[in-house]
Amino acid sequence: MIDDRPCRDILKDMLLENPFQDPLRFERRIPECAVVIFGANGDLTKRKLLPALYRLAYERRLSPGFAVLGISRTAMTDDQFRERMCSSVAKYLEDSPFDKQVWSGFAQSLYYMAGNVSDPTTFTALANRLKDIEEQRQTGGNVLFYLSTQPSQYAEAAKGIGEAGLAKGSGWRRIVVEKPFGHDLASAKALSDKLHEVFRESEVYRIDHYLGKETVQNILAFRFGNGIFEPLWNRRYVNSVQITAAESIGVEGRGSYYQEAGALRDMIQNHLLQIMATIAMEPSATFQPDAVRDERAKLLRSIRVLKSSEVLENSVSGQYGPARIGGTDVPGFRQEDGVDPQSQTDTYAAATFFVDNWRWAGVPFYIRTGKRLPKRVTEIAIQFNAAPHAVFGDNGDGTTPNLLILRIQPEEGISLRFLSKRPGAGMKLRPVSMDFNYGSSFGERSPTAYETLLLDVMIGDATLYTRQDMVEASWAVVEPIMQAWGDRKFDFPNYAAGTWGPKAADDMLARRGHAWRKP
Amino acid sequence: MSSTIQPEIILRDLSELWVSLAKESEPGQSSGVLRACAMTLVTAVDESEDATSVWSTVAALMPEHPSRAIVIRFRQSPARELSARVFSQCWMPFGQRRQICCEQIEMTVSDASLPDLPAVIVPLAVSDLPVILWCRGSRLFSLPEFPELLKAANKVVLDAALFPDPVVPLRQLAEQSCQGRVFGDLAWTRLTRWRELVSQIFENRSYLAQLPGIERVRIGFGGDVKPASGYYLAAWLLDCLETASAKAQVEWVSGMNARIGDLARVELVGAGDDGLRASIAVAGDGERHCAEVRVGSLSNRTMFPPDNDYVLLREELSIPGPDPVYARTLARASRLAVAETR
Repeated sequence: MIDDRPCRDILKDMLLENPFQDPLRFERRIPECAVVIFGANGDLTKRKLLPALYRLAYERRLSPGFAVLGISRTAMTDDQFRERMCSSVAKYLEDSPFDKQVWSGFAQSLYYMAGNVSDPTTFTALANRLKDIEEQRQTGGNVLFYLSTQPSQYAEAAKGIGEAGLAKGSGWRRIVVEKPFGHDLASAKALSDKLHEVFRESEVYRIDHYLGKETVQNILAFRFGNGIFEPLWNRRYVNSVQITAAESIGVEGRGSYYQEAGALRDMIQNHLLQIMATIAMEPSATFQPDAVRDERAKLLRSIRVLKSSEVLENSVSGQYGPARIGGTDVPGFRQEDGVDPQSQTDTYAAATFFVDNWRWAGVPFYIRTGKRLPKRVTEIAIQFNAAPHAVFGDNGDGTTPNLLILRIQPEEGISLRFLSKRPGAGMKLRPVSMDFNYGSSFGERSPTAYETLLLDVMIGDATLYTRQDMVEASWAVVEPIMQAWGDRKFDFPNYAAGTWGPKAADDMLARRGHAWRKP
Repeated sequence: MSSTIQPEIILRDLSELWVSLAKESEPGQSSGVLRACAMTLVTAVDESEDATSVWSTVAALMPEHPSRAIVIRFRQSPARELSARVFSQCWMPFGQRRQICCEQIEMTVSDASLPDLPAVIVPLAVSDLPVILWCRGSRLFSLPEFPELLKAANKVVLDAALFPDPVVPLRQLAEQSCQGRVFGDLAWTRLTRWRELVSQIFENRSYLAQLPGIERVRIGFGGDVKPASGYYLAAWLLDCLETASAKAQVEWVSGMNARIGDLARVELVGAGDDGLRASIAVAGDGERHCAEVRVGSLSNRTMFPPDNDYVLLREELSIPGPDPVYARTLARASRLAVAETR
């Protein structure tokens, strides 16, 4: 669409701001737009995307000019798609009521077309359908493409969008891709190159749902909104940092996928290194998306890349074996459906990283993640140096260092462990914990990560999305570990389901005088 | 009823309350209760008001705005009378092992004892956290010594809709606001949902470009007396339109199908036949209201959230400091109301 008005008028319009805005009271709202979901019949759409969009409608965050166009290979009418999504939303909605009236209004904005990303005619049909929807729903020419397909189809889908002329239009265009962003550094670069043939980097939103979690965002508020912690946040006071992401479940039917990925690729390369970057980054000058992402990227680039000779000393690979937990027999990884009985895939990964910068030189960051560990927990523990002199001698627990724990799931919150005098005669100390529980202290429902991230992308806020340089920096960190592990045959399984991982992981910390916490 | 309250005794009672709550917790738990506090919420009500309803509103607010809650019930009596009792409200969040508790203090005070009250409230306020005073009803706000109590608060919340003549609270609030006092008015808070819809219309850049052409603002309400919320809405719209270089006039439409004093419709009308016309009309029963947003020939319906005390106060408590948009609107609404009544 060509705007033939004089440049002065166009410029005046661009500079106009909505005078009715009241950010102190109004919630952030989504401008009119159409969301095109590739893979609309898949699990992610049913369990996460549609419930999150419905919830945004429930909260009145969606504009009247809003539409969703689902695409997948299954033939379905709009109404059949609406019905299918209705049952999914009612089933998978988290901490939230399902309101039939809200649904009936929201359902009117749902459309569907059958199509295959490998077939160019799909994109011609998509262009026509989008044009109709734009007229019907007044979506303002803004389009968000959400790739909820197999990662192998990302490049093809982007190419199809570009060739059909859908990557440009009268409004904005954005594309969301789900992890994995490649399976190593080279493939991550190749994927970015393919996306950049069609979209500018500023239009590409790589989603990492961990960054959408309320507590991960709260790390930024905690660090940079308070004056008391930041002066302690450095090598002078911090002794070590532990990041744990434990799952009590196994691969739950995803054995064939997981076999190709493994814990290092599936968790550490993306989620946990992003969390580490959030914990350790420098404060940004503003809270603008690129200012924050620049600092995260800088931190990721500062992580020391292990030499091949250092890998085995600073990383541990593990795989769970069968066990009996709570009276139930639990299969080992190699006994799971779709898994090679000789599989060398890591279901547990731990690594020691160092950040080579002024603030963190010499402070070990221990990261671990695994399946079939004793409980589901994700948390960051910052251990401070012990008091320089034990004034109270050995009376009690007087040497326990202070610990700051940032809990991400399941109970989001922050705890500070410090020493207190035991009541009674004498000077015996014991550690006590001061807790802030995010959910229950406020009692307010926290938005799900997908609600936050979908709202952000439609508003155009990329703060919580991963940029190309961040993806490449994190691949650069894990690639030597992947290579060293790939060159070796491990004696798996090396930990029983329901335990805290292989003994080698304990040894890795013991070498530096540390021990894993038991969350 | 006694004639004095000693804050030290109340504070001691509160402290004992925490000890007893900890003792009541189940054996084996390292710490049974979690104390949460983000502010001191003082609620001033007439004794004739239903205390249960006041406490239930305060209780509903606690999970989101954990506070030391003080409810002061005013008795119309010439004798100097003050009494207080202390208790707690605890809840066990779903899936948690620990109770969250908040402190609650109920005072009964005669009008004649009002001058004694600030000296009681100040020491009872939680240190270093804001004190919010919610004044329910118009009678209390008109008591001669009430401004002294206002001084103990960082922010005062009232509801101009409860005053028989809306011009009175608007003028008083505007005057005191000029002296740097922070106010919240639930009559303004009720407008948030209206204002959000207006703002949402102009998120569309083509409508936004037509804003300078708006020449009339039409506000419809139930009853014959222009409500405080009507003045606020008119003042806010005129302010925003002026920012967009529009010079608009306000037209009032009384007697619309709505509860007396409730807003029923707002319309922005552009110049000429092809000028922009945008309207929001609300209809519904007491609990659920449906808003129809119409821009030109396009229309859309959405549910309005309920506007009970809990919902309104929840919004006000989340803004403990100054609200520049409200302060600006209050000044203009007051001028508008005073000018219209001349």
